[in-house]
Amino acid sequence: MAFSSLSFQQQQSFDPAAKVKAAFLYNFTKYFEWPDKMKSGNFIIQIIGTNTNLNQELNKMASSKQVGNQKLEIKTSTSIDASTQPHIIFLLSESSDMLKEINSKYKGKGSLVVTEKNGLAKAGSAINFVVMDNKQKFEYNKNNAVKAGLKTGDGLNSLAIVID
Amino acid sequence: MLSFSKSYHYLKSCICFLLIFVWHNQYAQTDLFFDAQRLCNEKKFDEALPIIEKIIIHPETKNDPASWHIRSFAYIQTFKQSLLSATDKIYLLDTAMYSALRSMKLDTAKAYIENNNSFIKNGASSYYKLSIILLQDSLNSVKSEQYYLNYKKYTSIFDPSFDFKQKDINYFNTTGSTFEDLYMRNNFNQKYGDIAKYALLKVLDIDSQNISANINLGILYYNQGATLMRMMDYDVDLAQLDVIQENAKKLFKQSLPFMIKVYQLDPKAEKALESLQGIYSALLDDEKANEFKQKKEALNKK
Repeated sequence: MAFSSLSFQQQQSFDPAAKVKAAFLYNFTKYFEWPDKMKSGNFIIQIIGTNTNLNQELNKMASSKQVGNQKLEIKTSTSIDASTQPHIIFLLSESSDMLKEINSKYKGKGSLVVTEKNGLAKAGSAINFVVMDNKQKFEYNKNNAVKAGLKTGDGLNSLAIVID
Repeated sequence: MLSFSKSYHYLKSCICFLLIFVWHNQYAQTDLFFDAQRLCNEKKFDEALPIIEKIIIHPETKNDPASWHIRSFAYIQTFKQSLLSATDKIYLLDTAMYSALRSMKLDTAKAYIENNNSFIKNGASSYYKLSIILLQDSLNSVKSEQYYLNYKKYTSIFDPSFDFKQKDINYFNTTGSTFEDLYMRNNFNQKYGDIAKYALLKVLDIDSQNISANINLGILYYNQGATLMRMMDYDVDLAQLDVIQENAKKLFKQSLPFMIKVYQLDPKAEKALESLQGIYSALLDDEKANEFKQKKEALNKK
């Protein structure tokens, strides 16, 4: 009698947490308006840090989805890429200490900063992923989004943990 | 009008004819039995069967254990001549078993006990083989279990003290892993997942510490949760995303006790360590996921 070992391995190459984050990131694009100069060209999501599964998932998403008329482009790096003006910057947990630097570099330029470490929505990110009751949730700081140069309504408030 | 002598002669002729008819009929039945026996010996079962069907309904032979015994033999041989996988011929096996049981019941002198037991044993074995063959055919899982129950029923007749525990575990574990594979290969079809779950839970009813069933159930629940996530569109609205997460979380949590059980039974089972890492990761419990990742790595270093 053999275990269904292959079955689990097949599914293991799929990371549910990465899929959820990808879906969240895609949804965020519906709640913000980027500056006019960023409404052409590719819609860039910049990941700072290393998460192979998330990177794969986002690239899969980019192959099937776009934001309005803009194609999705996923960029990954371990440091700030000065040559890029991303629409979304996702600062992975391991790169959290770069938040201050990113905020000063991109302030008012129209980059939505997303983080995933406790307390960062108060410390400067517009959106911060948190885990509650074994589910992915997010904190939302509208002031930080506005400071980043984005227009937004209150649509996210009812779906997020609002941080003032 | 007939004269007395004519009437007497006529009556005598009638009685005579009746006696000849009765005697011949009785003789004919015996004759039929020998014909059937001869045809069976010559392995001409197709020709023997219609004759046997006459024997078992005739008043003189219908209560004779020999009639039902030869019927069982002929049907079981005919069944054997057909492909085992030809399930439309299963009535042959059913008839053979019914006939052997009838013969046993009538056989108060126990003249056929050995052969009848042998037929029953043979038939039980055929039911078992069929039950396993049918597992490969996803449409016939219900029939498979029915034949497995027939196997148990007839085995109990020739061996009343037979302990089916291990056989049950093997059968339901095979069913479980077969349908779990079908579930994976058929785009996570829920129907197959449910059959696998039913079979594996049956194993745990018999033996709650069965490693194979525990690990397969853990994997099954995990995969069902992961499937909900996999099927989700990136475009799903945030409220719906929360509902999907909640449903997947329930399934991941259901998989946990099975995998923890495997880990408790065998702390060095790499599969359990790897699976627990995956389940905790899906539950976004990084600390626990990391704990099992490290345990797995430590195991591999040894």
